[in-house]
Amino acid sequence: MADAVSVGVNLDAFSHAISGIQALRSSVSRVFESLKDGMKNRDSLEGREKLFLAEFQDHLQAVNRDLSELERLSGLVGRPSESHPLHNSGLLSLDPVQDKTPLYSQLLQAYKWSNKLQYHAGLASSLLNQQSLKRSANQMGASAKRRPKVQPSTLVLPPHYVDDVISRIGRMFPDMNIELFRPNGTSAVLLVTLGKVLKAIVVMRSLFIDRTIVRGFNENIYSDDGKLDLWTKSQYQVFQKVTDHATTALLHYQLPQMPDVVVRSFMTWLRSYMKLFQASCQRCGRFLQEGLPPTWRDFRTLEASHDTCRM
Amino acid sequence: MGVATDTETVCHVPVAEGKSVQQTVDIVHKKLEQLGAVKHGSFCVDCETYHATGNASGQPSKLLYVMHNSETPLSCMALFEGGPCLIADANFDVLMVKLKSHFQNAKGHKVECRGSRYRYCDFLIKVGTVTMSSSARGISVEVEYCPCIVPGDCWNLMKEFMLSFLGTNVPELPSVFAAKPEGLFAPADCVDTMTQYLELFNKLRKLQISGSNVR
Amino acid sequence: MEAPPVTVMPVTGGTINMMEYLLQGSVLDQALESLLHRLRGLCDNMEPETFTDHELVYLLKGQQGNPFILRARRSLSHPNAPWHLRYLGQPEVGDKSRHALVRNCVDVAASHSLPEFLNEMGFRMDHEFVTNGHIFRKGGMKIVVSKLSRVLVPGNTENTERLSLSYLVELSVLAPAGQDTVSEDMRSFAEQLKPLVHLEKIDPSKQRH
Repeated sequence: MADAVSVGVNLDAFSHAISGIQALRSSVSRVFESLKDGMKNRDSLEGREKLFLAEFQDHLQAVNRDLSELERLSGLVGRPSESHPLHNSGLLSLDPVQDKTPLYSQLLQAYKWSNKLQYHAGLASSLLNQQSLKRSANQMGASAKRRPKVQPSTLVLPPHYVDDVISRIGRMFPDMNIELFRPNGTSAVLLVTLGKVLKAIVVMRSLFIDRTIVRGFNENIYSDDGKLDLWTKSQYQVFQKVTDHATTALLHYQLPQMPDVVVRSFMTWLRSYMKLFQASCQRCGRFLQEGLPPTWRDFRTLEASHDTCRM
Repeated sequence: MGVATDTETVCHVPVAEGKSVQQTVDIVHKKLEQLGAVKHGSFCVDCETYHATGNASGQPSKLLYVMHNSETPLSCMALFEGGPCLIADANFDVLMVKLKSHFQNAKGHKVECRGSRYRYCDFLIKVGTVTMSSSARGISVEVEYCPCIVPGDCWNLMKEFMLSFLGTNVPELPSVFAAKPEGLFAPADCVDTMTQYLELFNKLRKLQISGSNVR
Repeated sequence: MEAPPVTVMPVTGGTINMMEYLLQGSVLDQALESLLHRLRGLCDNMEPETFTDHELVYLLKGQQGNPFILRARRSLSHPNAPWHLRYLGQPEVGDKSRHALVRNCVDVAASHSLPEFLNEMGFRMDHEFVTNGHIFRKGGMKIVVSKLSRVLVPGNTENTERLSLSYLVELSVLAPAGQDTVSEDMRSFAEQLKPLVHLEKIDPSKQRH
């Protein structure tokens, strides 16, 4: 109710102010009108001068009066509230026909989103600046000019080169069977079968390992439509744990200039799971810890230990 | 088909001194729950015995066992001791009825094993009471380590697990596995499990006959 | 002679006392296409299915009475599919007004160890053949149009010889005992196949001699 009243008052003041402006405009134009007409059509020169000056003065006074009236009225109209976060667009909320123009709610939504985005981007950028997680060479040289030169060597490798590297690694480890697929475009997906222990799917981007998931030897690798299932996690806790550790290993083994070494190191590390169920923990000497075998493998020594024992 | 293949062992737990079968089962349940295992439904394994009613060649008749397992409710397994085994659907039971002039059901020999299933991490534990002619004869414990398919690989691990709730009654590697060069758990069926249950049932049956297991 | 259809024994699983209602007939090879065409029109709208099966007939001879017969079948086109073991009882005499042959039937899906297992049970393989053809369905009715071939060298399903210049046509329904209305449906369906093929109630036991 209070809103309605204040709006009513405002509207009244507005209409007065508008007529005030009109009055000001007409009085101003009258000033120029008389100035344009000049002093002609007058009898005597003196009389003309006098009359002209008096007229001119009158007109200016009228302008003055109208101006001060307008100033007074503008005080009544009140300023648009500067505190509104959307500034003048906030006045859209005054539009009574909300159904037809959902502009205001959309505007609010967009505003919230852009705010959030800015906030998160800020957080992400500060976090990323702290991490020394260099996954590609182009981040090494911060200068933008060097980037195009570095990129082709590591990020865009011919598929047959990748095939070659993978098959060489496969030959190095006879107990490890590596199959290479290219389900979408040129990026390779490796299916690594380790003895009768586990199967790992390794998603590559050129020669960089992007992602890996480990499942039991007896679990499904293909989804119902016959494609490699890259997403479903293992139903067994032990392989979920191994997947976590393998992801850690991906981040650990990084050598951007020699990606093939990275793949080889990762595979060597993965191969140490051959004795996943046979090895006891090197720290506590037991096989089980909370129902799980030693799932952790040291990155350097490949020593087996429980996740909880490795600290 | 399509049953998960993994490693498991079935063993016989002797009834504790001065305790009944049910009390001993309760003790095992309690120990499992203390360990953190969660009850996960129930299970049932049964076994019917048939013998051939004299064949034309006059050889001594072999025993034919027909078993069911609630883990594979639509299947039925028929096996000869030490001989070939067949996995069939439930209609095999009906066929045995048709065959009754050639294979007679030894009614008194029906064995049943019922109990609870427990889950602990990737382990599946089944504690059952073995019943013969409506009296409880013994306790079975089946431990299954689902992620591993080579029994020889995870045997030490399973032994350590069983030690934690069975105490000293931990069995040796089941002979069904020891006999296999690869030690691979039979793919796509539960033959090895059922063979172990059959061995357990026959062991309990002999105990019953010799009378050494009375209370 | 045979076990009575009603059982008093404890049965843990399976469907007791299923009956097969059967009508049989045959067409010459030349008439096959027009019969298939007709069946495609009459039967349920499905992909026409073809099959190639190897059937082994096993006998178990007791001390007295007729041998016990079991039929073991495997698909040659789907070698990983389970084996199919089938017991067929003697045709029921009874009601002459019934339009179809009725006999007890037990179907069992079994693992690939079936032949070995049957041998251990005392069964001996009597004869084998290869059958290939087309299968159609209409509701619960099954229509099989098949060609039978002799296996020339035991166990070798590659080396076969066709038995005749015609196709066997079988119309069958599996139903619990006592549902004689199905034979009515079968008769009216058989009517619609005339004059391409005449499906009749044929008693195999009377043909043997």
